[in-house]
Amino acid sequence: MSIERKDDMDHGAWLEEKDLTVIETGFLTALVWLDKRLRLVDYLELLETLYYRVNLQMPKSHTEQYNLDNKFWYWYPLYSLGFFSTVAYLVAAVSGALLGFYYSPATAGDPSTAYNSITFIMQDLNLGFFLRSLHRWSAQVMTAAVFLHMLRVYFTGAYKEPREVNWLVGIILLSLTMVFGYTGYLLPWDQLAYWAGQIGVEMSLSIPLLGEWVAQLMFGGFSLGQATLQRMYILHVFLLPFVVTAVIGIHLALVWMQGIAEPH
Amino acid sequence: MAEDNTTEMRTDGGLVPPDDETPTWRERKERTQGLSRLTYEYFERSRREDQDLREESSYVERDVLAFPVWPHELIRNLSIVAFFVGMIFFLSATLPPHIGAAANPSSTPDIILPDWYLYWSFGLLKLGPLNPDLSILGGQKLFADRTYGVLANVVIVGFIAIVPFVNKGSARRPVEQPFWAAVGISGVTFAITISALSIKNLTPMDPHVLFDLTFLLPFVTACISYAVLKTMREGYMYDLNRRYYRLRPPK
Repeated sequence: MSIERKDDMDHGAWLEEKDLTVIETGFLTALVWLDKRLRLVDYLELLETLYYRVNLQMPKSHTEQYNLDNKFWYWYPLYSLGFFSTVAYLVAAVSGALLGFYYSPATAGDPSTAYNSITFIMQDLNLGFFLRSLHRWSAQVMTAAVFLHMLRVYFTGAYKEPREVNWLVGIILLSLTMVFGYTGYLLPWDQLAYWAGQIGVEMSLSIPLLGEWVAQLMFGGFSLGQATLQRMYILHVFLLPFVVTAVIGIHLALVWMQGIAEPH
Repeated sequence: MAEDNTTEMRTDGGLVPPDDETPTWRERKERTQGLSRLTYEYFERSRREDQDLREESSYVERDVLAFPVWPHELIRNLSIVAFFVGMIFFLSATLPPHIGAAANPSSTPDIILPDWYLYWSFGLLKLGPLNPDLSILGGQKLFADRTYGVLANVVIVGFIAIVPFVNKGSARRPVEQPFWAAVGISGVTFAITISALSIKNLTPMDPHVLFDLTFLLPFVTACISYAVLKTMREGYMYDLNRRYYRLRPPK
């Protein structure tokens, strides 16, 4: 007796009764073989649905559906803030990767290699001044957009029932965005950066019980120096990009799965 | 189908195109020939297989009222976002940041600031005056002022995190829930005032007045927004209820 599952839809028999040419048989056999393993039908269906959908009239929008056009069209720009912060994140990622070619996180030198590489980028590098400006502005704009996005979600009640988890993920993302900004703020190693770092060390030292351990881990000691700059650099260009990109992925996947909460 | 539309409310809210416009799988299949037609014939069978499995199972598909990310939201967003990305480039071309003096551990500058988005957190570190002296400890403070400030951060973030678990129900708009809207408004005001407090050496105001305003203003704005929303509520709710609660009955 065979342990092979009995095939209700006997595709093999179907193939034989069709009386096909060699090419057709070969094609269908390959298709059936692949579809059994990869379930191609699902993806093809997606593509097809997209194809037919763009040729159809757009379905009714929410405001048409509830007849809210007169009152709520002005909420709409606020609904794009989440997507906008994602795009600003991408702009910051690209400009940051380019800046990374020219920046080195070292405090040695006069006044320091890090500071000198920033002045090099700003003064000697072609388009460097603009590149740094772009990186900084997209980071600022992303942070602002993320805060406003949270306010939008709060005031339209979008965090409610099926979306509690995404609210929590959003809080994590907001915190990580601020850590991203903070670590980046320290990298030029100018006066502002140095003393902001000093505040950071003091803040972590005042955490009950874990304070000293956190200061060691994040800042590489209780006074600022090479270790601090190096850690901020690794956090900013290695650790956080992976973590934040992954969390953004989760956040967007949940939005995709749950749909946009209706603006009422 | 057309008669159905007039007699009963469609629960999908018109998001799904009417049946007579969407080509069925059979129609799509019939439009093609050759290998692609064969593909469709196979996929029809394959789909029927899935359909049989689905019918056997006890899984129930839920009807979630929300609108799809694609295409509604993304198409609208793409146009708005294109404009804002242009704005980023414009800002960075016209207002480039400059760099200050190099780090010098031996000279503390007059102004020490984190970036603007951390002002609120920086301000919470300056809440020392609110840290109670406990008479039970002989006038000693339970926490150092710095610890108190860090704990204040944890409390604020924790409060924001539990909002969905405290404020439940199907209400969405501020007018439907004046109280929670007022909480939000006072939160925004507090974020602004505590940021002003954090840079009190730069704020042109008496620090004591500023400290009092930090806690007074959120309360004032909360009261005002509560009163305004409560007043607006009735007029809004009438229109809203008619259509909206027919689709989404209140709990």
